[in-house]
Amino acid sequence: MKNKYAKIAFDGLITNNASFKLVLGTCAALGMSSSAIGGFGMGISVTVVLLLSNVLISMLRKVIPSAVRIPAFVVIIATLVTLLRMALEKYMPDLYDSMGVFLPLIVVNCMILGRAEAFASKQPVLDSAIDGVSTGLGFTVALTLMGMIREFFGSGSFFGIELFDFSIGFFASAPGAFFTYGICIALFLLITDNVEKTARKKRARAFRVSQSAPLPAPEETEKKEAETC
Amino acid sequence: MKAKLKAFFQSNVFRCVTILLAIVLVSGALLSVCNDLLFVSAEERFARTLAKIYGRQVETTQLSVSAEDAVFAEGTVNAAYLTDDGNYLIQSTGNGGYSGGTVTLWTVFSCEGSKEANDFKWLGIEKVVYESDRKQSYISKIKKKFYTEFTVHNEEILAGGKFTTAAGGDDIYTLSAGASRSSAAIVNGVNTALAYFRAHVLGGEA
Repeated sequence: MKNKYAKIAFDGLITNNASFKLVLGTCAALGMSSSAIGGFGMGISVTVVLLLSNVLISMLRKVIPSAVRIPAFVVIIATLVTLLRMALEKYMPDLYDSMGVFLPLIVVNCMILGRAEAFASKQPVLDSAIDGVSTGLGFTVALTLMGMIREFFGSGSFFGIELFDFSIGFFASAPGAFFTYGICIALFLLITDNVEKTARKKRARAFRVSQSAPLPAPEETEKKEAETC
Repeated sequence: MKAKLKAFFQSNVFRCVTILLAIVLVSGALLSVCNDLLFVSAEERFARTLAKIYGRQVETTQLSVSAEDAVFAEGTVNAAYLTDDGNYLIQSTGNGGYSGGTVTLWTVFSCEGSKEANDFKWLGIEKVVYESDRKQSYISKIKKKFYTEFTVHNEEILAGGKFTTAAGGDDIYTLSAGASRSSAAIVNGVNTALAYFRAHVLGGEA
C-alpha cells in the first residue's frame, strides 16, 4: 500500500512532472515565472486547487454521469478558483495583486482538468488527493526554478533581494521565458533519462548475476531440507 | 402520456441535467455565502493602501477633487486626502507609459502646522508609492531607489522645480530605470500630483 502511494507521489513530482515532462499549464508557467516569489505563489495556488478539485471529483465520481463529466468538472474547478481568489484578496492581498489575470486563468489550466479527467474521476479519494498534491508540488518546483533563473538574470535579484545592479533584459521578457522554459525542459529530460539508464543498467546487471550464479547440488539440497525438518 | 413522462424521468438525459443543476446550485450557494464572509470593502482597500504607505493605520479626511481640477497635461488626479499628521496624500495617474499605458501612484507631501493656525509649511515630498499600472510589463524593473529619488530633491521642488527622465534640462533628472516608458509615466504621475498640490493646496483651497 505504501509503495502504491509512493509511486503516485513520485509520478506526480518527477516521472510525469506537469511542466517539464507533460508541458501542461504553460500559460501560467511563462506568465508567472518572471520572479521566484511569483512562481512559488502561483504554484501553491494551483496545488491547493488541484488537491481540492481532485478530492471533490473523486468523491463525486460515481454520481456524475459520463456524458456531463467535463462541464461538471469545469463548474467545480471554477468554484474552487473563485473561492481561492476571494480568500487571497482578503488575507494575502500582495499575492493577489501580483497574480493579476493569471489567478482566474487557473480555471482553464489544462493540468487541473487533465488530472481530473485522467485520474481523479477513476481513482479513490486518497489516491486522488496524493496525486493532486504531488502534481501541484511538481508544478510549484518547476515554476519556482524558472522564476529563480529569470529573476537572477533578468533583475539581478533572488527572491526579491537585490544582489547586483546588472541585469539582462531578455530574461525578463516573453522570449526569455520561452528560452528558460526550453532549457529547463532539456536539462530535466537529460537528467531523468540518465538516471533511468543508470537504474536500468543496475537492474540488468543484477539480473545477469542472479542468472549466472551456479545452482546447489541435489544431495546438498536434500541434506539441508532434512536438517531443517 | 404517463408512461412517456415516467420514461423521461428515468432517462439518462434527465439524470444528467438534474445532477449538473444540483452541482451548479450548490456551487452558487457556497460562493454567495463565502462572498459575504470574505468581502473586501472599499474602506478596507484604502486602509491597506495607507498601511502600505505609512506602515500603520492613519486617519484621513478626503478632499473633494472636481473633474476640471483633476485633469493635467501629464496625467490625472484621482483622489486627495489630508492625514491626521498634517500631510497630504494624493493619488494620481501618470500618462505616457509603454503602449499608451499609465501608472497610478500615491504621493505623500510632508507638511507641518495647519492653515487654520496660519503656520502651515510645506516641507517637500516624503514618499512615492506605486499602486497599479496599465500595460507596463516592465514595471517590476523599477526598483525602490527610483521611487526614493523623488524624495531627495525637496530643495529644488520647494523652489518650483519638477521632475523629468531626460537629462540635460532645468528640471530635476530622475534616473530612468531600464524601463524608460514606465519611468516616464511614474514621473508624469508625480508631476501631476505636484501640480495639483501647488494649485489647490498651496493655492488655498484645501
